[in-house]
Amino acid sequence: MLDGAVVTVELTVCAALLSLIIGTLSVALQLSRFRAGYWLSRSYVSAMRGTPLLVQLFVVFFGLPLLGIKGQSFLAATLAIGFNSGAFVTEILRAAILNVPAGQLEAAQAIGMSRAQTSRRVIMPQALVLSLPALTTEFTLVLKATPLASVVAVTELTYTGTLIIARTFHPTEILLTVAAGYVVVALAFTQLSRWLEQRFAILHL
Amino acid sequence: MDWQLMFDNLPLLLEGLERTIAISIAGVVLGAAVAAILVALQRSGRRWLIVPVRVYTEVVLGMPNLVLLYIVFYVLPGVGLLIEPLAAGLITLILYYSPYFAEVMRGALAAIPAGQIEAGRAVGMSRPAVMWRIILPQAFGLMLPPMTNLIIGLIKDSSILSVISVVELAFQTKQVIARTYAPFEVYLLVAIIYWVLISTVAVGLRRAERWVTLYRRA
Repeated sequence: MLDGAVVTVELTVCAALLSLIIGTLSVALQLSRFRAGYWLSRSYVSAMRGTPLLVQLFVVFFGLPLLGIKGQSFLAATLAIGFNSGAFVTEILRAAILNVPAGQLEAAQAIGMSRAQTSRRVIMPQALVLSLPALTTEFTLVLKATPLASVVAVTELTYTGTLIIARTFHPTEILLTVAAGYVVVALAFTQLSRWLEQRFAILHL
Repeated sequence: MDWQLMFDNLPLLLEGLERTIAISIAGVVLGAAVAAILVALQRSGRRWLIVPVRVYTEVVLGMPNLVLLYIVFYVLPGVGLLIEPLAAGLITLILYYSPYFAEVMRGALAAIPAGQIEAGRAVGMSRPAVMWRIILPQAFGLMLPPMTNLIIGLIKDSSILSVISVVELAFQTKQVIARTYAPFEVYLLVAIIYWVLISTVAVGLRRAERWVTLYRRA
């Protein structure tokens, strides 16, 4: 079962990283000068939030072979969860960026910084700090989404649990252990989130 | 992609959609009812009532809903309660979402200025009357935006019930795929159906939000 837990953590980390990358790109598109980028990003967010993750997972899982990639269920799960979470990360980053005081932007432009410089050195650092609490919540949601990968036979914690149950016929003990595993890791994430918030509160934002 | 094949199987999918809508409505109504009870318990001030609620909330908030579903379906029979899939699924949805609903309700109730209660009591209204005629109407308007997100989440999570062979949209897609052997196309179509359903619900709830807060914006 420990192997299953390892795979769960791997899946969570990979999906979370992917969602951060996609979320950042998506937010950049939304706030860019290109109307097409805005429309693309909004459609992406709407699609991800308007459909169940299970269905998205199956679409990716059955769609990958059509692109020539066969038999990769871990990849399918990572892509599906990553893309789904990326939409929520987009919204989180969008809210954070819009909450950076306008004076920061004005001051940066007054000094003569270009748009790229302002974004990189003034806006994004502050936006990232503002978004930390919501991002850790989202990270926890990614963790809680990983059991869905068991329906495409990714050997994560829940799937491993069901395999053991099929062998030993002790659903109660196994499932309660599995549940406890998730609760423990979720609590760890919550503690990490609180620690991070305290560290960054020094910045007096 | 054979669209004629899709249209032929549409009735099966629509039957699943009907069941999904029914399950979602039941889940929301019952979940909100349980949440109201949870909130009442938490505001009672009695520790022996509050502590179990907090424990239950913390435990459920940390658990994935699929794991909770397996527990309800596979573990409860061990203690003598044999539950059919639909009931197990509904119970899971309610167990999972009522803490979230309760947190939203608690926040909404706490956001009403205490002056409202004081004024109501000052003109001689009883406690229940104050709650029913002054607090709840205002709290309802505050609750709706976060509840919209939760309700949409519940509708999406109803798809998980397909793992327990509950007849709803996600389960019916597997039936259709068994007939058509076109998993990608069918799941894409079903994704669109879900998207239309959820967008409609979202728009409807936003209208409801505006109607409920008319008193504030007239």
